[in-house]
Amino acid sequence: MFGFLKQVGDYSREAVDAAYGITQGLAVTFDHMRRRPITVQYPYEKLIPSERYRGRIHFEFDKCIACEVCVRVCPINLPVVDWVMNKETKKKQLNNYSIDFGVCIFCGNCVEYCPTNCLSMTEEYELAAFDRHSLNFDNVALGRLPTSVTMDPSVQPLRELAYLPKGAMDPHVVPHTDGRAGQLPQEIAAAAPESTSHSKEDSSI
Amino acid sequence: MFMTPLATIQLPLATVSGGNLDLARGFQMALQSWGVSPGLAHALWLPLPMVLVLTAAVVGVLASVWLERKVSAAVQQRIGPEYAGPLGILQPVADGLKLLVKEDVIPDRADGLLFTLGPVLVLVPVILSWLIVPFGQNLLISNVGVGIFLWIALSSIQPIGLLMAGYSSNNKYALLGGLRAAAQSISYEVPLALAVLAVVMLSNSLSTVEIVQQQNSAGLLSWNVWRQPVGFLIFWICVIAECERAPFDLPEAEEELVAGYQTEYAGMKFALFYLGSYINLVLSGLLVAVLYLGGWGFPLPVEWLAGLLHQPLESPLVQVVMASVGIVTTVLKGFLLIFFAILLRWTTPRVRIDQLLDFGWKFLLPIALVNLLVTAALKLVFPAFFGG
Repeated sequence: MFGFLKQVGDYSREAVDAAYGITQGLAVTFDHMRRRPITVQYPYEKLIPSERYRGRIHFEFDKCIACEVCVRVCPINLPVVDWVMNKETKKKQLNNYSIDFGVCIFCGNCVEYCPTNCLSMTEEYELAAFDRHSLNFDNVALGRLPTSVTMDPSVQPLRELAYLPKGAMDPHVVPHTDGRAGQLPQEIAAAAPESTSHSKEDSSI
Repeated sequence: MFMTPLATIQLPLATVSGGNLDLARGFQMALQSWGVSPGLAHALWLPLPMVLVLTAAVVGVLASVWLERKVSAAVQQRIGPEYAGPLGILQPVADGLKLLVKEDVIPDRADGLLFTLGPVLVLVPVILSWLIVPFGQNLLISNVGVGIFLWIALSSIQPIGLLMAGYSSNNKYALLGGLRAAAQSISYEVPLALAVLAVVMLSNSLSTVEIVQQQNSAGLLSWNVWRQPVGFLIFWICVIAECERAPFDLPEAEEELVAGYQTEYAGMKFALFYLGSYINLVLSGLLVAVLYLGGWGFPLPVEWLAGLLHQPLESPLVQVVMASVGIVTTVLKGFLLIFFAILLRWTTPRVRIDQLLDFGWKFLLPIALVNLLVTAALKLVFPAFFGG
């Protein structure tokens, strides 16, 4: 008899616990309704890519010495460097350079190792195309600079969370003149007189 | 000269019978005063409330679809539909239009007749159930004596349609979804009916109008939810399960069954399912309001408010205001419950099929039975409070 009563008691306690849990959950979802949307309304609003963003690669034809280091450090030997030996100047002459962005994984090794800095990362990420072959960029396409979201009049640029001023959570209400939270590397350097004198000592030796 | 016919129309239209606004009698009397025979006047009246309620149901669907999308978005910190009309209110219309012009595909080796009949059989009983939803004393299509029982009977036709749709699709996911839907509907029908039975016991009537009337003697305090708190919870859970909404949406659990019995449906046939599920949701919200939250009754008794303002109850103005307040109150209560159902959708995880059946048969059914017995006992002991 008492065993049965205990069973009933346990059962009802479990039911009450479950109801309490659901109520707590409802409170959480209800609270979320008054919060501001965190979504970015993409074609009209765009996030400003972070400063080390690894987007489409930019290539400067005139700086390239056709050393093919980019090909060697590439995980899949992707860049195509089309050069011929110029017999007169005894130098490599670059005819064409291309990277297929349908295959590239944007690891940035080529940019890292390029001896003449002719490769660099841009902040362009909108690489959608109707045909995958149009993603194979030649040196002309690689030399184009992307439109910055801050320059595009049809786009409202939004800062990412890490680039907002201290305490700000919503990029919509932050004026573009406000600095980001924390100090920039230059500011840290300027605020440290000890280390500068130390480096002077170093240079004197 | 010009004013006389208008006056003759207006007076009978606001005819007050037994202290309540009766549009049907007013309309028929107005027609008869023009020399139309009583039978013809009645026949002319009949389609009007039907069309009106059907329109109300469809508008209710549009509103609840919009509400679902907006509330879901808000809960997930998105903004939801935004560009179709102001605040995206035309989004459900756009969805419907898109489904309307879409190609109507019947899959190869599917049973064409049953495949077409399935969604119809799901939708028709749901629409038919609007027959008994009262928005006021005389503001319903038909005050059927067996009102709420008719709704239970009609809602048990639905699983046949679901099973039909799932079985005829020639698709294993559809079949599984159909079987699940049928199992779910059948097992939650039982506690649902028992919860309704307890309410019927309190009000001594199956008619929805009388159930509401009996709740409105003292406004908020006399609502059934205070006398039937357990029954209210059981009914609400069962109604969500009947509507196949989260956390009981496993007949169409997309992670395991693609879309359940709707998998092979597209275009207008899918739209019928979609419409059916939302009409059912609105209907369920309204019926919970009718059975437990005092239907068209305002939280403060309207008669008492009219007395406070020294207005005679029989005056046409008071009657019209009271009817409008009733309609607005009913719809507001229904949509509050729909809002709660949407919130519940994003709060609770989906139950497994064994948990669902366990919950229905081993938890809800015994509790509903105990609730019924306790209600009967209370009715015998305190006939004054429990409708002796």
